[in-house]
Amino acid sequence: MANSEIKKVLVANRSVPAVRVIQTCQDRKIPTTAVYSTPDRLAAHVFMANSAVHIGDAPPIESYLNKERIIQAAFETGANAVHPGWGFLAENSSFAKMVKDAGLIWIGPEPEVIDKMGDKIQSKNEAIAANVPVIPGINSPDSPDEIRRWLEEEDVSYPIMIKASAGGGGKGMVRVQKDDELDNAFAQAKSEAKKSFGDDVVLVEKYIEHGRHIEVQIVADHHGKILHLHERECTLQRRNQKVIEEAPSPSLSPEAREDICSTAVRLMKAINYTSAGTVEFLYDSDTDKFYFLEVNTRLQVEHGITEIITGLDIVSMMLDIAEGEALQYNQEDIKSNRWALEVRINAEDPKTFSPSFGEISRLHMNLIPGIRVSQGAFEGSSIPPYYDSLIMLLMTSGPDRENAIMKMDSTLCRNLRVEGVKTLAPLLLSIIRHPNFINGNFSTKFIETHMDELVSTFNEEDYESEALKIAKYVAEISALGTPKWI
Amino acid sequence: MMNYTLIKPGMAPEDIVKTVRGLNKVMFTSTGMRDAGQSDYKNRLRIRDLRGFGPHYNEMGLFSSECHGGARWHVGIMNRRETPFEEVDILRKEMPNVLLQTLIRETNLWGYRPYPKNVNEYVISKVDIDVWRCFSFLNDIRNMRTAAEIIMKRGRMFQPAISFTQADWTTNDYYLSVVNNIVDLCGGTDSIILCIKDMAGVGSPKRIHNLIDHIKQAYPDLVIQYHRHATDGLALPALLAAAQAGANILDVEEDSLTRFYGQAPLLSAAAYLEESGINVHLNKPKAEAANQEARNWIQHYEWAESPFKGFDYNVTQHRMPGGAFPSSFEQAQKGGFLHLMPAILKVMSLYNRIVKYFDVTPGSQITWVTCSSVVNMYSKERGVAGVKHIINLLTKFVEEHNQNFDAMTDAEQDELLHLFRNAPGDFKNLILGGYGKLPQGWPDEWVYRSAFGDEWQEKLKSRKELSPLESVQEDDLNQLRNKLTDELGRTPSEEEFILYLMHPKDTLTLIKFREEFGDAPLVLPTNVWHNGLKAPGDKVEFEYSGVPYSIERVSIGSEHEGVVHVVMKVNNQTRVFRVETPRAVKSTIRMAQGAKQVGSPINGTVWRIGNPDRGTLQVGDIVHKGEEIANLEAMKMENAILAPFNGQVKDIAVKINDMVKEGQLLVELEEAKGTLH
Repeated sequence: MANSEIKKVLVANRSVPAVRVIQTCQDRKIPTTAVYSTPDRLAAHVFMANSAVHIGDAPPIESYLNKERIIQAAFETGANAVHPGWGFLAENSSFAKMVKDAGLIWIGPEPEVIDKMGDKIQSKNEAIAANVPVIPGINSPDSPDEIRRWLEEEDVSYPIMIKASAGGGGKGMVRVQKDDELDNAFAQAKSEAKKSFGDDVVLVEKYIEHGRHIEVQIVADHHGKILHLHERECTLQRRNQKVIEEAPSPSLSPEAREDICSTAVRLMKAINYTSAGTVEFLYDSDTDKFYFLEVNTRLQVEHGITEIITGLDIVSMMLDIAEGEALQYNQEDIKSNRWALEVRINAEDPKTFSPSFGEISRLHMNLIPGIRVSQGAFEGSSIPPYYDSLIMLLMTSGPDRENAIMKMDSTLCRNLRVEGVKTLAPLLLSIIRHPNFINGNFSTKFIETHMDELVSTFNEEDYESEALKIAKYVAEISALGTPKWI
Repeated sequence: MMNYTLIKPGMAPEDIVKTVRGLNKVMFTSTGMRDAGQSDYKNRLRIRDLRGFGPHYNEMGLFSSECHGGARWHVGIMNRRETPFEEVDILRKEMPNVLLQTLIRETNLWGYRPYPKNVNEYVISKVDIDVWRCFSFLNDIRNMRTAAEIIMKRGRMFQPAISFTQADWTTNDYYLSVVNNIVDLCGGTDSIILCIKDMAGVGSPKRIHNLIDHIKQAYPDLVIQYHRHATDGLALPALLAAAQAGANILDVEEDSLTRFYGQAPLLSAAAYLEESGINVHLNKPKAEAANQEARNWIQHYEWAESPFKGFDYNVTQHRMPGGAFPSSFEQAQKGGFLHLMPAILKVMSLYNRIVKYFDVTPGSQITWVTCSSVVNMYSKERGVAGVKHIINLLTKFVEEHNQNFDAMTDAEQDELLHLFRNAPGDFKNLILGGYGKLPQGWPDEWVYRSAFGDEWQEKLKSRKELSPLESVQEDDLNQLRNKLTDELGRTPSEEEFILYLMHPKDTLTLIKFREEFGDAPLVLPTNVWHNGLKAPGDKVEFEYSGVPYSIERVSIGSEHEGVVHVVMKVNNQTRVFRVETPRAVKSTIRMAQGAKQVGSPINGTVWRIGNPDRGTLQVGDIVHKGEEIANLEAMKMENAILAPFNGQVKDIAVKINDMVKEGQLLVELEEAKGTLH
């Protein structure tokens, strides 16, 4: 691949991922173009970029998924490269291809690789070919009855998971506990798949009950060099979406760690992967076995903790790779020397996970030593109902896990204040204080099985909010005069 | 330094009685935290201010602090927006040495209707109070049984009160018979204190001396506490007379709080008693400090004072109790009939010779409502002449003809027979025995004919002779608790439930208020609580949860579409508050209620009504249990809404693409008509 200099990057995303990509571009003095939908006109990422282009109305299909318009925006603003962030078009091979066909630099893996690995059925076949263990499953069933036949023939028992073949990020994934839920679940998964990914093909897999979710960060250049940046553990999920991630994994022995990382490299080599990507595994701690889940052909939300433990900037490496440069590190140079923890501050009710839209009337945090913040919204921002609920990532680090948790506790407990929308912060604090979390003893089902207990330990005393209620009374009486009832 | 603390919370009632008996000094109960405020400030004195008395009371050597009960309970919920439970918590911390005293109505407790026995039992057993003064406005001691049993079983001090008034029928023998009933009920005189409750302030010094002397002769060991209002202007000599006759404890209030209708001034009383040779138990420097404490805040309560000022010797005729004075005048002022007050008081003085009971809650309210509505009716129909006419008629009947109905002319009889036709339901309930037996027996027959017309004989037959403790049907406490849970959308605390048992509607308002405005009632200074901040730059500073707070007014915007934006600095950070004025347009969102209304489980967007198999759902369609009837999307996740039972669609409350709130009504179902296939 010929060397091609990136002159300006269009970031085809919004909120946290857009802000993250722009930050590295700013470090490297590369100008950026932001794109925005109508409700995002005043969003955080818009003002960080050097140019910003309105690309459509609120529904993603009209804006952040509007490929033609985004490419047009790049030309309008003189951008010669496109970074998709994560979500939206990040794993859309036809968009990658359109970008390249338009003569722009695509900051990501090759469209063919995205295509191949984006399809869960095909990616599983690739894994099998590369001698990587996979979970029992059935590809693209047409009806619930076909699933039933497979269950019988392969002697697989419930629970099972139905997933969008083109999916990721927990969308289009439905867990089925027993047979009478199957029909509705099948329909729901297909419909969500269609809505989120434009393709209603699904696959079905055995659901591993006490699985732990471990993934390996890979970077690969166009010159045949492929490196892993160690693993992350992302076991804590709710509704199949990760909420807390850490690196390294507290579950693995040094041998298992070496094994899982080299397996990931083997697979990515086999498919000629380039740019940054992740191989996800399900690790069954009961049997000490791991199974291939999928390859994420993009930058991931939780890449930051890998950056913390290795000191590398993955976005910057993606830019280098896209420019055709060779990676300047060897595997032995990649050293992890600390523990990092990440929590996702989503605008959701921490008890029900019901989305909480509205305006962030206050967002304040004291930066303490050992914390990294990745913000997608600022005080005064609106959280529109059309998009993902992530508003901020908090990462803390320390020489060991205990210290990283301690820092996160301080951050969540005293140093973060969000008003106007509800966030997951109370739940996150309860989780990192739970003895099972502290002991590293948890599975992907931890949150749902401990939900009541976690909710019961929410720290309800919030004197600042209470003081604001008092101020609200003063405001009301000052404006309206002495109330009649008094 | 002398330790004035002789009695502490936790002491057994017998030990308290022994201590008081052996003291040879008069002790005081300060009503500064309850009746003082009830009588002269409409119960608006806030715990935020009253708590300042605590550290002084703690060393003052008081018998008790009356800080709880009476109307203070209800006014706390309704107007001060603070709960009696919060008050007790605060006072226990501020004055751990002081007995906390409440005032209860024997079967009404802190409400206005007779509660069933199980409600009484439940509530009394859950409230942390040391001294329980309990009165019956009928002196029907049977009604006190439940309260006496539970309070004494808890090892708390039960203080039965006899309601006192001065009338031809309230003789020493009458009162002695009431005291006999009390001593019987309480198993002697060793673990109770008897209160003589002169709630209107009408007992002349001689009469009080004579009565206490009479009781003491029958029960020399009985500890007596005298409670008296100052309305007639004779409180101090009456207190002295009581002490000289052997009363052990006297009710007084801080001198700086005194106006006209509460208790006598504490320091004056102490000085007057000592000069007359009676020893008092009181740490005077601390009492003086408490007296000064009130001067820090009492000037902020002018708005709460009665518009009718000055002592009123006529109270000996109309007998309106001190505690009811300011609230009655407040009602008269709000109702626009303040000018009729002299006439109403006159009618009251005649009325209470026709229907005989004690003018204290709830009797005083019955008297007030009955008499004020009679006067208002005559005033509306015939003006000043009408008011004069009814007073003349009643005077003639009561004073000239000594209530001999037959001695009145036919026309006058006819008028009397309509006098109570529109009387309040509580009056009718009273004469039918709903509250217990009247102290001097039931009123004359014509009163029933007047109240019930043609139905009077039938009604008379239903008159109850039993105590309401026996006759009022029990409430289902679990059902009430569930109802409150439904109303709040969460599990209520024990305290909230008790408030709800007494005053259901007002408690809900209070809880909603506190959810919105937090501890504002407990922490804001009274001028800010009442008036807000007047001008830009005005600020209020207070300590809350151990740290300082400051709220400063910056600016208040002009009203736009019913909304005003108020800018305040809270601890120097600028905050904008959106305040809705009464003109604000309220968007009405119907929330799902009950099993037949299907609500949204989340905040989201309705993107489908019905399901792909059947298409869009219509009103009248039949749906099957478990069938998807709508689908919501929030942040790209789908949420299927399933029919909870087989039914027919009665109403679809949303449209495609509507944004809905959690709990908002989506679809209403009803039982399917016809058979399901």
